[in-house]
Amino acid sequence: MSEMKDMIIEVVERIFKEKVEKETVDLLEANQWAEDVWQLLLENEIQQVAVKEEHGGAGGDYEDLFHLYRLVGKYAVPVPFIEHTLANLVLDIANIQPQTELSTVHLVTKPLDMADGKVSGSLQHVPWARYAKKLVTLATEQGKQSLILLDLKDASIENHTNLAAEPRDRLQFTDAKILASQPLTDEQHEFLTKLQTAATVSKMAGAIDRAFELSVQFSKEREQFGRPIHRFQLVQQHLAVLAGEQALSGAALENILALLLKEEAADEIAFARLKLDDASRIVATSAHQVHAAIGVTHEHRLHHYTRRLWAWRDEDFHAKYWKKELAKKWLHSSNTLWDTLTKKKQVEHI
Amino acid sequence: MNLPTVQFTKEQEVFREEVRAFLQGELQKGTFQTKCDSWLSGSDPGFSKLIAEQGWIGMTWPKEYGGAERSSIDRYILTEEFLAIGAPVAAHWFADRQTGPLLLRFGTDYQKNFFLPQIVKGECFFAIGLSEPNSGSDLASVRTKAEKVEGGWIVNGAKTWTSNAQDAHYMVTLVRTEPVSEKKHQGLSQLIINLKSEGVTITPIRYLTGEHHFNDVFFDNVFVPDEMVVGTLGNGWAQGLAELAYERSGPERILSTFPLLNEALEELKRQQDFEGLTEASKLIAELWSLRNLSIGVAKVLEEGGEVSVPAALVKSIGTKFEQKIPEVVRLLLNVYPQLQADRALDRYLAESTLHAPGFTIRGGTSEVLYGIIAKGVLAG
Repeated sequence: MSEMKDMIIEVVERIFKEKVEKETVDLLEANQWAEDVWQLLLENEIQQVAVKEEHGGAGGDYEDLFHLYRLVGKYAVPVPFIEHTLANLVLDIANIQPQTELSTVHLVTKPLDMADGKVSGSLQHVPWARYAKKLVTLATEQGKQSLILLDLKDASIENHTNLAAEPRDRLQFTDAKILASQPLTDEQHEFLTKLQTAATVSKMAGAIDRAFELSVQFSKEREQFGRPIHRFQLVQQHLAVLAGEQALSGAALENILALLLKEEAADEIAFARLKLDDASRIVATSAHQVHAAIGVTHEHRLHHYTRRLWAWRDEDFHAKYWKKELAKKWLHSSNTLWDTLTKKKQVEHI
Repeated sequence: MNLPTVQFTKEQEVFREEVRAFLQGELQKGTFQTKCDSWLSGSDPGFSKLIAEQGWIGMTWPKEYGGAERSSIDRYILTEEFLAIGAPVAAHWFADRQTGPLLLRFGTDYQKNFFLPQIVKGECFFAIGLSEPNSGSDLASVRTKAEKVEGGWIVNGAKTWTSNAQDAHYMVTLVRTEPVSEKKHQGLSQLIINLKSEGVTITPIRYLTGEHHFNDVFFDNVFVPDEMVVGTLGNGWAQGLAELAYERSGPERILSTFPLLNEALEELKRQQDFEGLTEASKLIAELWSLRNLSIGVAKVLEEGGEVSVPAALVKSIGTKFEQKIPEVVRLLLNVYPQLQADRALDRYLAESTLHAPGFTIRGGTSEVLYGIIAKGVLAG
């Protein structure tokens, strides 16, 4: 963890607290985003966190960056911060110059077809593409995968949204020019899937933090039968369940970030993603039950978080993907479950 | 709620290997048989003696009392290895987990010098006397009474659900040393009662498997000398609460049915059942997450921090997880639960199914824990 972390987190959380009102988030429904928040982040060089200094970065490591993603989730900030910075992080890893122009990243679905330095094909559910100038994605040529950088001017874009009204656009490329490319080994590709998954886990953990906080706050303020509802045992049960899922999600995130930094994250990324999938369901259910009728209206902000959790759990490298990855691995593994969980392998090569 | 992350050091990994190799060796020699819920239902004084010879009882305690002054994380690793392989550790469990830390914190020099070295040698086992007939979750309703006499106390009353009293030498007993006042939590004290004393009667309460690990313990004018009062007279409630943090967050609240999960995964691998492994992965992800939390609490405990709320959290979620394992496994594999089955999977399933209802009751019911967690959360 870099020493800058606390300072960066504090600055960014202050910006989000002051600038991201409920109305700010609601504007996404009308296809508007919080450009003023984006500008503030730019002025504070927050988009440069975790970019290497030789690439014009501001220092910090990617643990810092993922903690910012948790805040983006916690405040449901309607800006493509995660997409832009993750695109640059991925470029940085592939030794391609990070972009100052607004960029987005899309690493899943079927990669585009590449031939003679050009790509064709379509991509679904690309986050924030309508606002971005550049796209970082994958392409294949004769079975070999590359990370590529594209100009979104070359795409035809159809606007779509996810459950939370976040932009998830459909793109079509026909013989589009590749601005930069880097062939990927299987290991590098796997690492990118882990990075993308850690980003998703981060923002989901943030949304869970907030759904939990809102529920605690509501249970103190709302009175029924002459007393605050937190006095009722069944409401307390929901609060305890929410507290548990919040703690589990936070711990899962912190653990994978610690392992990623040491480059030791293996199955843990999958475990964390699976846990967040489950936690999203439990948290959304209990938070809505605590809030009761007001929580299912557009007037209350709880839906900013529960809708995001429902949307995010099915995006990117989701639980179904990771369950299969784990099963494939175990099918041929001679390690017992306990060996796997306790990383016996590490000891063998001391 | 944010807890620290713990990455085990190389030395800790090596220690884990050492423990694992020892236990595998004993398992192969036939010293014990793997069992689910072994920390409560697997009492074998001979095996505890063997563990003591390794220096693995009271391993975090000061050297002057025979301890090894090792870290709580080392102890955590040791405990996990016991549970993962289902070793019979119930005999020394309560002395190691609760009585030792209690005496180190509140005991007199005499008590520390007298009991701790015996516990470390695996020669002195303790039971914990909290619940009473009809007290249920209302622990403060304790009625067992100690009356002051020359040189000590005369105890009358009864304790129930006392695990392993049949193999224990002593019991740390919560008793009322002052008449009941409006504040039920006041006037309670902890006495160490020698279970071989005159007037002590221990009778088994058989568990629904037919096994004997619970007991009723009756006190009929039992004399307890003054030097067996733990800590401060009247402070028993606060001292008891401190003990509960040790009791609630350990690996035993997560791993009681682990041998079943481990065996189920091995069976799915043998059958090359891709679908089954896919389904099982969810349980394993849950286990991993819970373990992170539980280790985080161990770390805070080691640093002397306050953990009552996160410990309650680990227990309430962990025990639900332990209960879920047999329910998922029976849907993933063809099984026939039977306590005497030849096939380990069937035996572990039977043990897990029959032991499961107790997980969310012993050490504080889930409902009581929810109340503790909610209060902590609302205050925060």
